[in-house]
Amino acid sequence: MQISAGRYISRTATLVEFEVRKLLHDQTQVWIRVIQPALWLLIFGQAFTRLKAIPTGNYTYLQFMTPGVLAQSVMFVAIFYGITVVWERDLGLLNKLLSTPTPRSAIVMGKAFAAGARGIVQAVAIFILALIIRVDISLNPWHLLLVLIIVVFLGAFFASLSIFIASLVRTRERVMGIGQAITMPLFFASNAIYPTSILPSWLKAIVVVNPLSYAIDAMRSLLVTNDLSKLPLDFLVIMTAAVLMIALASWSFKRILS
Amino acid sequence: MADNAVEIHNLVKTYPRVKAVDDVSFNIEKGEVFGLLGPNGAGKTTTIRMLLTLVQPTSGSIRILGINALSDPGKARHMFGYVPQDVSVDGELTGWENMLMYAKLYDVPRQNREKLIKEALEYLGLSDRANDMVSKYSGGMMRRLEIAQTLVNRPKILFLDEPSIGLDPSARRFIWDHIEKLRREFGTTILITTHDMEEADRLCERIGIMDRGKMVTIGRPAELKSSLGGDIVSISSQTPGFIEKLKELGYSLISDSTNGHIDLVVADGEKQIPNLLASLHAHGIVIETVSLKKPTLDDVFLHFTGARIEQGDSFTQAKQTRRTIRRLS
Repeated sequence: MQISAGRYISRTATLVEFEVRKLLHDQTQVWIRVIQPALWLLIFGQAFTRLKAIPTGNYTYLQFMTPGVLAQSVMFVAIFYGITVVWERDLGLLNKLLSTPTPRSAIVMGKAFAAGARGIVQAVAIFILALIIRVDISLNPWHLLLVLIIVVFLGAFFASLSIFIASLVRTRERVMGIGQAITMPLFFASNAIYPTSILPSWLKAIVVVNPLSYAIDAMRSLLVTNDLSKLPLDFLVIMTAAVLMIALASWSFKRILS
Repeated sequence: MADNAVEIHNLVKTYPRVKAVDDVSFNIEKGEVFGLLGPNGAGKTTTIRMLLTLVQPTSGSIRILGINALSDPGKARHMFGYVPQDVSVDGELTGWENMLMYAKLYDVPRQNREKLIKEALEYLGLSDRANDMVSKYSGGMMRRLEIAQTLVNRPKILFLDEPSIGLDPSARRFIWDHIEKLRREFGTTILITTHDMEEADRLCERIGIMDRGKMVTIGRPAELKSSLGGDIVSISSQTPGFIEKLKELGYSLISDSTNGHIDLVVADGEKQIPNLLASLHAHGIVIETVSLKKPTLDDVFLHFTGARIEQGDSFTQAKQTRRTIRRLS
């Protein structure tokens, strides 16, 4: 199908726009989604800061885990985007959308970056919370901007992973089940709440292929350590992962319909 | 042919276990309201989805206003307006936002958008509810909003899949009036699928009857009804050999007997009934009831397929749609 790049982008932007409008209409669900990361920071974070059980070098445990909690909350929101796609198929929404001159990949992109936009809301909420409980994080605006870009691509990666899963399993319940089954392992097999140096080597191997680790590493360097040496690699991995996953989800998207 | 909006040749769609559409060919003229009529599972929705480029046919060809829809689906999609059988408006957005989203997706120029959306909402009597969330709309209002959405991009061809399924009688009549108005005022070519005889009879200029994936017959409703060759006389009797006797007397039966009840096609029914009764009486057959009616599309369907259309799961399906609507709110 021939379609100009401008139109492609404007269609994707339209889909993102209306996903965001839905959020604006239902703000309670946005706040509900902030509860979980808040509990991680307020309870888990405070407790382990006092215990000093996890070696985090020159930084407090709360400083160390804030980027981890942020990445985790973005993942938790995005990993269920496939459910909405299945839901829209069960109604007639998806069929109608597909009968418009909108390429399938633009639909996947629209959902993926809507999850990204959703992630920004999470990020802002967690920043504010972190400031309230006096976690010492960088307020350099360039660093914060880069963190938001990571958040967007991280959300896009997990949302398109979720759409890809939805295209294989095709029911809401299964997408929900698989989403729940993979988020915890991905979270634990990452550098979110402890340094990977304390992990056994087989788990380290998973950490290395887990895009979540790279996102957390990048955010931690921008917000806490200011050691930006690995930032280019982190960005490369996250963006490549997001692009590949969007492509994969677009390719398998039509299976959702059948 | 320039006068055809849709040309379909030898369309086939095979799924692993079923042949959903089996060698179907038909044309729809520009400006025509064409109805695909048939029971659930006849292949109507699969046909419409192939036309809409949502489902890839196994074989066959589809031309939409001269465009090969299979090789150039993107171009064909610009011609479409589509109201699916299931709810296709987003309950989490307002009526206005639902309209705006589709205006944008169909590349309606920015300077016309507001005006067209306003007009369409007014046209379907939704102006005062435009800023309400769609989840608060009734089923009939959702349908009206769906039709309003299709007005904004001024489609060349409008596809309506079971437009009045699950609606109460007054909402149904409202939708029908609007479909008629659309055709009158905009000259839109409209393809309707339905299993509702009354709907097909009232709205469609031509009807294609589908059954088990095949196109059984195509014609104007009046032609189809007169093709039966007369009026329908229903007789019931418990006398054994009743049906054999009718056949012997040379009457054409359009169905097999159920509980001693049978439908015959009789030319000039009013005049024939006395003769019919007299000759059956003479053969010792006791008639319990007799009735006469003009043929309906249901009788046409029965004649061509050997089964009544409004049987089976149509009721369950209507209920299902209702449930979907309710789940939205």
